[in-house]
Amino acid sequence: MEERNDGVVLRVEGLGKTFGHGSTAVRAVDGVDMEAREGEIVLIMGPSGSGKTTLLTMIGGLLRPDAGRVFIDGVELTALPHRELPAVRRERVGFVFQTFNLLEALTAAENVELPLNMAGVSGREARTRAVALLEERDMGHRLSFRPNQLSGGEKQRVSIARALANQPRLILADEPTANLDSKHGHDTLLHLRAVAKEQGRTVIIVSHDHRIREIADRVLWLEDGRFKDVSLLATDPVCGMQVEVDSARATIERDGRTYYFCSRGCSWEFQKDHASFAGASD
Amino acid sequence: MVPVARRNLLAEKGRLAISVAGVAFSVVLILVVLSLYRGWGGLGGIIEEIPADLWVVQQGTTDPFHSVSVLREDLAEELAGVEGVRGVSKAFSRTMSVEVDGKETPLRLMSLERPPDVLPGQAVFFPPPGRINIDAVFAEMQGLKEGDTVRLNERDLEVGDTFTGGNTVLAQFAFVDVEDARAIFGVPGTVHYLLVSVNDPKATESVRERIDASFPEADTLTGAEFLEAVRREIKEGFLPVVGMLVIIGFVIGVAVIGLTTYTATIEKSRDFGVMKAVGASGRFLYRIVIVQSVLVGLAGFAAGLGGTILVNQLVEEAVPEFVTELRWLDALGVFAAALVMAGLASFLPAARVDRIDPALVFRA
Repeated sequence: MEERNDGVVLRVEGLGKTFGHGSTAVRAVDGVDMEAREGEIVLIMGPSGSGKTTLLTMIGGLLRPDAGRVFIDGVELTALPHRELPAVRRERVGFVFQTFNLLEALTAAENVELPLNMAGVSGREARTRAVALLEERDMGHRLSFRPNQLSGGEKQRVSIARALANQPRLILADEPTANLDSKHGHDTLLHLRAVAKEQGRTVIIVSHDHRIREIADRVLWLEDGRFKDVSLLATDPVCGMQVEVDSARATIERDGRTYYFCSRGCSWEFQKDHASFAGASD
Repeated sequence: MVPVARRNLLAEKGRLAISVAGVAFSVVLILVVLSLYRGWGGLGGIIEEIPADLWVVQQGTTDPFHSVSVLREDLAEELAGVEGVRGVSKAFSRTMSVEVDGKETPLRLMSLERPPDVLPGQAVFFPPPGRINIDAVFAEMQGLKEGDTVRLNERDLEVGDTFTGGNTVLAQFAFVDVEDARAIFGVPGTVHYLLVSVNDPKATESVRERIDASFPEADTLTGAEFLEAVRREIKEGFLPVVGMLVIIGFVIGVAVIGLTTYTATIEKSRDFGVMKAVGASGRFLYRIVIVQSVLVGLAGFAAGLGGTILVNQLVEEAVPEFVTELRWLDALGVFAAALVMAGLASFLPAARVDRIDPALVFRA
């Protein structure tokens, strides 16, 4: 099924997924709704086990939801038969992974060329496009290098180039900075930002990394399989955890501000040396 | 196209080498057995060259090796009187033990009565008294050359000419003079075969019918029929073994290719998962698996073909009576079999690829 999208690249309606049965059943994603428009960067955050990756796999057509619908570029993914999903992933979605997931037996250029081959583009045209994508990411001098000869940051650049090979409108990135140091992490963020802002693609990022907030247009907080209003969350200034304002274990008023803590221990530490933590929850 | 299959195979060169060697082994096994079968099928060709339109044998004689034919010697005169018969030659033949350098070895000794008109090329069948013409394989096996002496039934014979086509694996042909044969065999008044030549080769069948009707104690066979009886014995004895070894070779080949491709697939499960995740269709992935199998099959076939030529050469040098004949049609058949092996061997890995969950790519 295809519908008009009016700039909306991704639309998710009432998406749900339960793993297991009976008393052992776990509701990983529970009635999630969201939209993302072209050129937009949406960051989905949340604690471990909150359902972020499950949500991402369902959006990417790698996992069938129990309930709800996913539309990518107007095409209802959840209504498509299984055999048609690879084509949607190939042409409409690009994936960027935490562990890069490059094929070790192939060179950087071949890793980017491969999705083009899958889409029926081969030979010189595929090679030219792959090389161009890598050169745009300053990887022209690493074309024939294998993944084990590349640094983490370089691998992630190859991974981004591969995700863009078939010019998808939606990029799904799972913890893209988790395996990178701060410099390469920042470098990856700039590349993802350019993908969204210069090329008009929609980028959905799932991450624990707060630095990504810098480039995100919107931040969604997923917990227990549901989105919570990010405005009702605060960052514990001591440990950096997201704390629900309504149910924080401790609060401290100081200099006209309220600080929220995940535990009493954090609040005690804050009281001992509040000067060093005071700016951390901004 | 990115050569994923080739790269996957080359990523583990040791395993690839073992796999190719395994397939090569099965190809060598199949081809060497077939070569021996073909080679043995052409054995004993000398019988066809013996100058005779019809072989008259004792009734019930199946072939010159596995049954004994004893005929009255005076039957020769009676046969000569049959309408259409031009001449009758007496022939003696028996497997004997011959002594060479003090060692006993079997020899298919044959002696033909010299007809009045010996054609060029037939002289080898009629050595003069005191000489023995031997098959080239026998000469090579025993290290004999012209002028050497062999001892047969307390009688020394000097080696004369050698000839080809007289090898039957278990024994080789040799020809001696009729009088020498009479002395060696020592059964007066009998012959083993009577070789009949006819006036008109087109009338051979009618002459045969007349002989069969007049002499119930004898059977008549053409040279080709006599030879076919020999070859049938060899083939029928050998064929089940050939069949079994070919099947074993085929099963080994399928197992080796299958195992290689399967382990390569398991090892690359994550890669297949990644390819699935980024949009590879089932057909795209199956093609990688099949190409991997086919590459192993083809490399194994090429190595096996080379190995077969080498093994055949070594076999002929080490065991001269083992004649091998590698036919290109057989090689083509084994090539097709290698492709079938590869195809069959792809099923299990392809099923494995089918089961790989692409969502595994999100697991760190």
